[in-house]
Parts: sequence; C-alpha cells; structure tokens
Amino acid sequence: MQKNPYIPAPVKVEKIITEVDTKDIKTFRLDFLNQEDKEAFTYLPGQFAELSIFGKGESPIGIASSPTDPDYIEFTVQKAGVVTTALHNFEEGTLMGVRGPLGNSWPLDYLKGKDVVLVGGGFAFTTIRSLINYMLDDKNRADFGKITAIYGARNPGLLLYRDELALWQKRDDIDMHVTVDKGDENWTGREGFVPTVCKDVAPSSNNAVTLICGPPIMIRFTLPVFFELGFSKENIYTSLEMRMKCGIGKCGRCNVGSKYVCKDGPVFSLAELDELTPEY
Amino acid sequence: MEAKLIKKAALGDIVKKIAGQKPVYAPVKEGSKVHFKFLAKGESPFLAYANSVNAPKNLFFPQTETLMHYTKTARGNELVEESETFSEMVLFGVRPCDVRSFKLLDMVFDQKQYSDPYYVEKRERTTIIALACRQPPFSTCFCTSVGGHPAQADGADILISELDDDYLVEFLSPKGEKLIKLFGDLRAADEAALNRKKELSDEAVAAIKSHIPATEIKTWLDSNFEHPFWDSIHQGCLACGTCSYLCPTCHCFDIRDEAQGDDGIRLRTWDSCMYSIYSQETSGHNPRPGQKQRWRQRLMHKFKYFVDNYDAISCVGCGRCVMSCPVNTDIRKIVNDIAKLN
Repeated sequence: MQKNPYIPAPVKVEKIITEVDTKDIKTFRLDFLNQEDKEAFTYLPGQFAELSIFGKGESPIGIASSPTDPDYIEFTVQKAGVVTTALHNFEEGTLMGVRGPLGNSWPLDYLKGKDVVLVGGGFAFTTIRSLINYMLDDKNRADFGKITAIYGARNPGLLLYRDELALWQKRDDIDMHVTVDKGDENWTGREGFVPTVCKDVAPSSNNAVTLICGPPIMIRFTLPVFFELGFSKENIYTSLEMRMKCGIGKCGRCNVGSKYVCKDGPVFSLAELDELTPEY
Repeated sequence: MEAKLIKKAALGDIVKKIAGQKPVYAPVKEGSKVHFKFLAKGESPFLAYANSVNAPKNLFFPQTETLMHYTKTARGNELVEESETFSEMVLFGVRPCDVRSFKLLDMVFDQKQYSDPYYVEKRERTTIIALACRQPPFSTCFCTSVGGHPAQADGADILISELDDDYLVEFLSPKGEKLIKLFGDLRAADEAALNRKKELSDEAVAAIKSHIPATEIKTWLDSNFEHPFWDSIHQGCLACGTCSYLCPTCHCFDIRDEAQGDDGIRLRTWDSCMYSIYSQETSGHNPRPGQKQRWRQRLMHKFKYFVDNYDAISCVGCGRCVMSCPVNTDIRKIVNDIAKLN
C-alpha cells in the first residue's frame, strides 16, 4: 500500500536561529527521527512542506535548506497564525512533524547552462536561498552560468541569512547584491529599492532566466525592469502562496484557475501565469 | 454480466438478508425526508423514494472524519499508531446520478501520485447496488445534460431496474456477482424483460424535461473570467454552503486539530468555496474576496476547471442544489444564461 500522505514524519527541532531584529522570523533546523523518513524526503529547491504541530495544525512553508546539505532540513518561518506562533514558542529539542516534500521546484533542468538572476525581497528569500546553496555546491556549480543575486529588505535588521550573505558577497562565483531601503548608522552597504538596484546591476537577458520572489509591490515594480532588459515571460519565474490544507491537490482551496498551487506549483513562469486566472 | 429477474415484492427482504451479513447503507425514511443510513438488523430499506436529501458521498467521504490520533508524551505530541480495521459494506439504492458522482470523486481522491487512503479504502470495500430511475424523480433532474443517464449506472456493481411486476437485476462486476447467492431465487432474464428495460429506459430519458447546455458553455468560460455577467449571479447568495454540502461531487475539505486534555485528533471536515474564510490567508489577503469571486469559482470549477483537469463536468444533474437553495439560485438558469451570451 502507498504511504498515507496525510501522516507527518516525526522530526526534532535541532536548532532555532532568530533571523531578524524584530525576532518574528526564525529558522528551524529539523532532524528526522526515523532514518527511512529522512531518506524518503528527497527534495529540490523551491519545494515546500507542511509543518505539522499536533494540537495546532499545519502550515505550508518553503524549504530553506538545500538538498546538498543532507543532514537536516530548514524552514524559515514568520510568526503569523496559530501554527507558526506555536512553532515560535518552541524550544530546541521539541518534537513536531513534517509532511512533504510537496509541489514542484525551481526549474533546475531549464536553468542548466544558463545565467541565473535571483531577486528576493524581505522574507521571500527562503527558497531562493535554498537554490543559491544548491547551485554553489561544488558538484553543481559548473552546471550553471553566471549567477547574480539581488536581495533587499526594508532595513538591515530585517535581512535574513546575514552570515551567508556576507560569505556570498566575498565569493567570485556569485555576484551578490544586498540592499536596504534605508540603512542605519552601522550600514555600509547599498541603499535603494530592489527594482532600482536591478536596473543598476542590469543583468544581461542573453541566455538568462530570472526568478523573482517578494511582496507584490516589489514584483510590480521589478517586472518592468526585467522586460526592459529583454527577459521574456518564459524566462521570468516566481513562486506563489495560497491558503492550503492537504498539499496534494484534493482539498480544493489553492487553485488558480485549473491549476493547484500545491501540486502544479508553487513555481510558475510568467508565461504560465498569463494562461491562468489572475486570482492569487 | 448476468441479468436476472426477481419479483418486485422480494427486494425488501433481499436487502434485509444482505444487511444480516454485512453493513448495508440504504435509503431510510425519517419523517418526510429520505436519508442514507446503515440499516439496523431487521430493518427494511425505503424503496418508494425519489432520491435522498443528502448525497451518499458521505459513506466514502464523511462530513467529519478522524485522520489520526495523537497523544502527549515526554517528547511532545506524538502520533498514536493504529491498526486499521476493514469491513465490507454494501451501498444499496443509489440513483444513477449519484453513482456517477463516485466516478468523479475517484478522479480526485484516487490518483496515481497521491491516493487518499481514507476514501479509497472505503470505496474499494463497498459494493454499490444502483436503482435505476423509471421516471426522473424530480422536475429538477438534468442528468442527461451532464453526461449521465437515468437508467444506466456505469460504476455500479449491481444495477436494479424496475419493470412491471419484476425487478431486472444486472450483476455488473465481480464484486456484484459475489452477492448473487444472497438474492435467493433468481430467474434468468428473457429477451422480453431486456426489451422492456430498454423501453422504460427510453421513456425515462424522454421524461427528463430539464436540459442545460453544460458542455457548450465551456468555450465561453475559457475566455470570460472577467465579464459583467459575474456581477449578476451572486447577489442573492447567503453563503450558507447548502449547495456544496448537498452536492454529490463537491469534495473540498478543511483539516483541523481538536484537543481534549493530553489527547487529540486531526480531522477533516467538509468545506465550501462559498465561505469567505475558505481561501482567506493569515495575512488577511483573500484571493477570492467577495461572493462574486466565490460563485465564479464554484461555476468555473464544475464546468471548466474540472473539465480541463479530468475531461468531465463536475456535476451529475441531481438537482439537489436547485431544490434546497434558500434563495432559489438555480444552476440550470445560470448555465442557460451563459449560453445566451455565447
């Protein structure tokens, strides 16, 4: 018999990292209790999973770690509703569940041999972080062309993964641009909105694909920049969010037209989204 | 396939006999309403029914269903492993429209990649005995417009058709044939009986007066997500969800946890796209913020999205939503009105 897709695999919260100064975004490093669950959880950057807390419920969250680090999985979670609030109150060592991996992934096969431009805003950088770590892995780096990443937050205290950002900025196999809307007295980096920085950096659209994740307002002003740079709708990807329950295309609520974000997404190209109803 | 005849008067006792051997879910009269219920020992089904108020889908997809139990341990809340028990069941007296709904629900729940074990297991261990409609039970019936037929029941294990003095009993599947011995004295159906079945079947089709262009509106739906028409259909809607709850093909559900002391359950309950909270996100954003968008979703899902995904209309023409809507919203009228826009 097929495994019951509703039963979460038990995991232990191995480590909790508070990511931002406002303390409402934390990264949870989880370790599977059973070796067979760990082996069954084979995923690609861009996929998500249902974080499951018995007594509270489940919440669909993008996987922030990379499969190139097979020892654990990580989820970066903003404290917002019942489940994520319970999660934020957890201490290291607590037991919870994970159901997944779910959904499609960033279009890795399509990205191979091409330049990749990653754009993230605020909290929406978690599965892009997964992809960066995946592409920068020694085994994978040669599969991709030039990697450019532009990541912005409202202020320095809201940037995620600051240690990693610093490391990536020092590397010469990724062109990492970090920006904040407004810096503070200690900020020595770039200031400016993400769309403006994209315009300054002006990545070439020649044999290139861009993946854009961020708040709607950022996406609205960033897209025209990429159109101007010559990126076609087939070469612009994003990841959608919708309210979800089952995560496997049955409970009904996350459809955008005929597609279910949980099963057919969350990653769609702009060309694919044009074919769907604008209801997300 | 074997076709047999039984005397009309014998059917009630046959069902009673089956119910003595395994659980039988059958139409039962309660007050003025007919519902599907498990027959108590010695209880007869109600055979003179038109159709049940509720669709029989809840046998496979209960309105509330426990998915798993958990309990508090020293390490946190943990799953309680359970050994599942399987018992065979018989679903007796399903009208052809409702039989068709199971084929449509199978498309959602019984997929290759993600099979829903709760639905599939109950479905697999159930034998379905359909009762053909000699006359369409209601003026609101429109099964023939959406791919159905009042006297055919593709997907049933046994089909029983009312003739004049007899019932014609057709055993359509191995699961159905297993019940043959419980039917007692069966006479082989002769040519005349089969011809009579055909005659009555044609009469039943002709008696259906409600027709809607359900397939034809697909092209309009494909290109008119934005159209002033969508402002007109939701105005009276109370968002009560009755249409979804009575619908044999509506399959949306919610999953939630309920705790009692140190123990708890994770359960699923029916949900409805007619409710605002159905698609409401934690941030407050709602992709379908008004009843207009929610009605458009309901109609699009049944007549376009489901067709795109499974090549079938997600409506069986039972007319339950038409009969029970408190503000008389009529899906047949909506489909007809759309056809006029074409």
